[in-house]
Amino acid sequence: MAVVEASSLLRIDGLTKRYPGVTALDDLTIDLPRGLVGLVGANGAGKTTMFRLLLGISKPTEGRIEVCGIDVGSDPIGVRSRLGYMPEHDCLPLDQTAADVVSTFGELSGLPARAARQRASDILDLVGLDEARFRPISGFSTGMRQRTKLAQALVGDPELVLLDEPTAGLDPLGREEMLALVARLGTFGISVLMATHLLDDVQQVCHHVVMIDAGRLVVSGATDALLERTGFVTVDVGPRSEELVAGLSRIGLSAVAADGLIEVTVDGDDQMDTIRDVIAELQLPLYRLTTRLTSLDEVFLRLAGSSA
Amino acid sequence: MSVVSGDRGAVYDRGYRPYEGPRGRRGAATLALYKASMRRALGIRRSWRQKFAPFVLLGVVTIPAIVNVGIGYVTRDRLEDSLEIITYRDYVGVSSALLLFVALVAPDVMCPDRRQRVLPLMFARPLTGVDYVMAKVGAIASILFAFSFLPQVVLFVGNMLVSDSAYSYFTGHLDILWKVPLSVVILALYYAVIGVAIGSLTERRIVAGASVIGLLLITSISAGVIVGDTRPGEGSIAALIDILSLPLYLRDLVFLGNIDPDTPLTGVTNGGPLAIATYLVVLFLGIGVLLHRYRWVER
Repeated sequence: MAVVEASSLLRIDGLTKRYPGVTALDDLTIDLPRGLVGLVGANGAGKTTMFRLLLGISKPTEGRIEVCGIDVGSDPIGVRSRLGYMPEHDCLPLDQTAADVVSTFGELSGLPARAARQRASDILDLVGLDEARFRPISGFSTGMRQRTKLAQALVGDPELVLLDEPTAGLDPLGREEMLALVARLGTFGISVLMATHLLDDVQQVCHHVVMIDAGRLVVSGATDALLERTGFVTVDVGPRSEELVAGLSRIGLSAVAADGLIEVTVDGDDQMDTIRDVIAELQLPLYRLTTRLTSLDEVFLRLAGSSA
Repeated sequence: MSVVSGDRGAVYDRGYRPYEGPRGRRGAATLALYKASMRRALGIRRSWRQKFAPFVLLGVVTIPAIVNVGIGYVTRDRLEDSLEIITYRDYVGVSSALLLFVALVAPDVMCPDRRQRVLPLMFARPLTGVDYVMAKVGAIASILFAFSFLPQVVLFVGNMLVSDSAYSYFTGHLDILWKVPLSVVILALYYAVIGVAIGSLTERRIVAGASVIGLLLITSISAGVIVGDTRPGEGSIAALIDILSLPLYLRDLVFLGNIDPDTPLTGVTNGGPLAIATYLVVLFLGIGVLLHRYRWVER
């Protein structure tokens, strides 16, 4: 998991953005720590609007935003100098090479031309496009284009990177690789705000989660704190699972075998010891004994439902 | 840096190195976009097909100067006065090659940014809409200036070298040293603003290119039809609707100090100031269109 610094990354106070006939964001107040942060919400929840506001290319109707200690309203250029941005949609000049595109965006971020070219080479190497950097982007796969988008966001050495749906359109392997890259950013001291509707992605890499729904804040908190115990324990004892189900039933514990695993309903940590003792008594091998946690999907559905 | 070694080599993971050097802000970003737009317009770092058109056009606009100098060289011992096929004033003109160049290049540096949705990436940098417009207009104006000015340099240097006395030629044509650059700036800025403004209105290069040529030719033909044949002193104010030729009146003011009697604006009261005013109106209209198109960045 990422290196987390104590200082605040992002302070949002009473943020509201209204367009004619629609309120995109409604009185959001959030204080986010540095590190990897997930911004979660359904399509149309206001994630992209929030990114536009953070970048200072859209002005809030009400409220105030501070990014890396800089007030976006009074110094949007200063904020943009500290940010990297990876949009969700296709946004790359297709007739240029990845090296040209990334070095040009490095210069646009304020780097001298020579430094921009050097960093473009380093960053493309970092995202796994070293071999392909002199090929036109039009010949790139979706995964390579996503990596190029990430590279242009990183080339200016930002303090904070805004990633809008970074795994959109990727196959499972590409998705895992992209998430691994995002997770690595934290170890480099780069904070990440990753907007997505895929809660699994956030659960995998982010240590802090902000959930918004229809422009309103649902919850903001540490990922671990949001994931609650469900009251189920998953046990793997190999092929002799039926013996354990029978043994647990004899002492009054409800257990169900499915897909080679046993799910036991427990009430408190004492019953975990009981399960362990039964396994030992039956001389069964123990491969796994875990408390099943809620997923972020369940947390989101429950909290969004209760706030509606 | 971490190293993974194997039997046949080693893979180096260089990791991430923070940048700790100097970092510019708006000015640096604008200059970077200006340079990137220049490179794109000239086909630099692009395939040979993209390089072909600009440099062929540069060759085409330089040919008259080379021919003029060549004839001057061949006839230098036969004629008492040097033969002047093309004057410096005439050479600051709207050639078909220049018109084609504007229609080709201005849309090429504008339309793909919208079509390929690159603008959000640009405006996530320390760059404003005004900076964007300045960089794009500046790039096209610079190239138009270079493509119009370089042939003049060839003409001037060539004429100087084939003249009986290079020094006398130079001292006798000192006014050219400011009249030509000033006229070329007037011309280059004007066509750059028109080309870039039209290029900002559509995502399709072909539509923008056709619109540039269409606007300039249609207003030129319309003015020709309305004004008709003119004799010296009998021009019409309707000549000012000719957007194609408008900067040529300003060129005449720079070179001659008045409107050329052979133009359709001849004899019009306050023709000079009216030409300047119309030029400025077109220029500010184009800049207004551009600022309006990129105003959303400032919202």
